[in-house]
Amino acid sequence: MFTPDELTHLKQHVNHYPEPRAGAIYCLYAVQDKVGHINDKGIEIVTELTGLSKTQQEELISFYTLLRRRPIGRNVLRICDSISCHVMGSKAILDAAIKQTGVPIGEISKDGSVTVLPSICLGLCNKAPAALLNEMDEVENLNVHSINEYLNKLSEKPHDLNNKGSGSNIIATSGRENNS
Amino acid sequence: MDKILSRNFHHPHPLNIDEYQQAGGYRSLDSIIGQPRKELLATLKNSGLRGCGGAGFSTGLKWSFKAPDAPHPVYLVVNLDEAEPGSFKDRQVLYRDPHTIIEGVIASSYILEADKAFIFIRGEYRKGAQGLEAAVNEAKAAGLLGYNIRNSGWNLEIDVHLSAGRYICGEETALLNAIEGYRANPRAKPPFPIAKGLWGSPTIVNNVETICHVPFILHKGIEWFQNQGTNGAYGSHIFQVSGPVKNPGFFELPLGTTAREIIYEHAGGLLEGRELIGFLPGGASTQFMLPKDLDIPMHWDGPPTVGARLGTGGIIVMDDSLCPIDFMINLMQFFTRESCGFCTPCRDGLPFVKYQLEKFETGEADMTDIDTLRELCDIIYPNTFCAFAPGALMPIKSGMDKFETLFHQHIDNHGCTHPSHTPSTDAINNKVDC
Repeated sequence: MFTPDELTHLKQHVNHYPEPRAGAIYCLYAVQDKVGHINDKGIEIVTELTGLSKTQQEELISFYTLLRRRPIGRNVLRICDSISCHVMGSKAILDAAIKQTGVPIGEISKDGSVTVLPSICLGLCNKAPAALLNEMDEVENLNVHSINEYLNKLSEKPHDLNNKGSGSNIIATSGRENNS
Repeated sequence: MDKILSRNFHHPHPLNIDEYQQAGGYRSLDSIIGQPRKELLATLKNSGLRGCGGAGFSTGLKWSFKAPDAPHPVYLVVNLDEAEPGSFKDRQVLYRDPHTIIEGVIASSYILEADKAFIFIRGEYRKGAQGLEAAVNEAKAAGLLGYNIRNSGWNLEIDVHLSAGRYICGEETALLNAIEGYRANPRAKPPFPIAKGLWGSPTIVNNVETICHVPFILHKGIEWFQNQGTNGAYGSHIFQVSGPVKNPGFFELPLGTTAREIIYEHAGGLLEGRELIGFLPGGASTQFMLPKDLDIPMHWDGPPTVGARLGTGGIIVMDDSLCPIDFMINLMQFFTRESCGFCTPCRDGLPFVKYQLEKFETGEADMTDIDTLRELCDIIYPNTFCAFAPGALMPIKSGMDKFETLFHQHIDNHGCTHPSHTPSTDAINNKVDC
C-alpha cells in the first residue's frame, strides 16, 4: 500500500509524539487517502505503526465522522444540513441529491461517481446552502438546479478521490485559498 | 477602528512570509521576545482581552493560573475546531492570513514559556491546514520558530494537527483526547488542562482569534486595544451573519457594536419581503434574541441582559419563511447527532427533546408535552458530564419562553400550519454513517 518513503514518513510522524497512538488519526487518514476508505490491510499497517489493536482503531473510526470504514463512490460530497444552510433550503438540496443519485444518503450512486452525506456546519454559512467535495473543494450557494448540474459533472469525471495525494503529503502541500 | 485580524484579507492571495513582513507582520515580536514575561502577562491581564471562542473568560487571568514553577514541557493548544453552526470567523483567518495565526502563537507561547504549540484544525478545513503548514515551514526557515529564537534561550515548535470531524472536539478536554489519539470524550475537571493537560503536562487551550489578538495588544498597548471597542467593550471582533440577509458575511467591527448595525448595515438587512422573527447571537448554542433586542450592544455583557450570550458572535438570522419550531428541531438534530455519547442525559436525553419538538410539528402534541419538554430540559441541563448538552438546550429553553404562544398554536392547529412545513427526510435521519 505505501512506498518505503511513505512508511518512513509515517513512522517519523508517529514517533514525534510522546505516545505513538497520537499518530493514529494521521495514519488512518493516510490509508484512506490511498484506498478511499480504511480497509483491513490498512488497519494491519496502522497496528504496526502505532501499536493500536484493530478494536482500538475501530473505536476511532466509528467516532470520527471523516474516517470511513466502508467503500464509497469515487467522490464524497458532504452537504451541510446545519442551521444556516437549513434556513437557506438545504433540505431541498439533499432531497434533490437523493433523487439524482438514485440511492439513499450514504450509499454509492448507481454510476459509482459519488456518495452523498449530510454534514455538520462547514463554516460556509455566508454561502449557504453549501457542500464540500472530498474534504477539499467548497461548493457554494447551491440550489436544486445547481446541485443536479454538479452531480452530473461528477458523474462525467473519471476519478477524483485521490486528488489529495498520498498520506505522506496530507498537509504538506500548499492549498491556500484565493482571498477574492 | 483599526482592522486587526482582517487587515490582510483584501489581498488576492494569503501573504507569504516576505509579503507579510513587508506589511509589518512579525514586528510585534521585537517588543515581546526578550521582555520579562511577568510584565507582558500583566499587560494582557489589564487589557481586558476575553476568550473569543464563546466563553469570554479573561485570557490574562486564565494564563496567570499556570504555576510559575510548572514542569516542562508546557503546551499551547490553539483551538481551530470551529464547528459551531453559524460561525465562520476562524476559517477566514486560517484561509486568508495564516501568518497572523503564527505570529499570535509565537507571542502567546513566549509569555507562557510553551515548548510546543498544537494548532488543532477541524478536518473539514483541510485546505486551510495545508496553507498553514506551508506558512509554518516559511516561519521555521526564517528562524522565527525552532531553537533559541532570537537568542532568547527559548525554543518553540508548532504542530499543525488535522482532526477528523466531530463537533465535541472543540470542548477543550475532548480536544486534548483527540490530539492524544483517543475518542474525543471530555475529561473530568479538575484537574484543569492548565495543571494537567496533554500527556499530563501543563496545557493552555485558547481559541485562535484570542491568540491572534495577543501580539497586537502587547505591541500597541492597552489604551490602543481598549479604544478599538465601543459601548464599554474592548477590542475588535469578527462578527458573522448568516441566514436570509442581503449580504451574509464576516465583518471585523468594534466589540460592542449593536446587533442592528451588524445585521442591517453590514449584512444589508433581510431579504426583500422578509420579516425578522429573531436571531441567535453567537452560534447554535446560544439563546434567541428578538427584534426588540436589536439595539443591545454585542459584547460579553450585552446579550446576557436579555438572557442570551455573545457566544462566537456568529449571528444566525431567523425570518418568517420558516417555523421557529422547525428551526429548533434542526438545532436538536445537529446536537443529537454530535453528542459524543459518553453520558446518558446527553446521549439519550437530546434525541428525546428532538422527538418532543417534532410532536408539535406533526400535530401529536398536547398541553402535557409542553410540561414534558420543560421537565426534560430541567433534568438534562444540570446532569451532564460537560457543557455540550446545556449549550444544546439554550436555544430550546429560550425558544419555549420567547415563542410560547407558537407552541400553543401548534397544539390548537394539530400541527404546523406554516407554509414551509414539509415532513422531514427520513433517509437523512436514518442514514448518516458511511
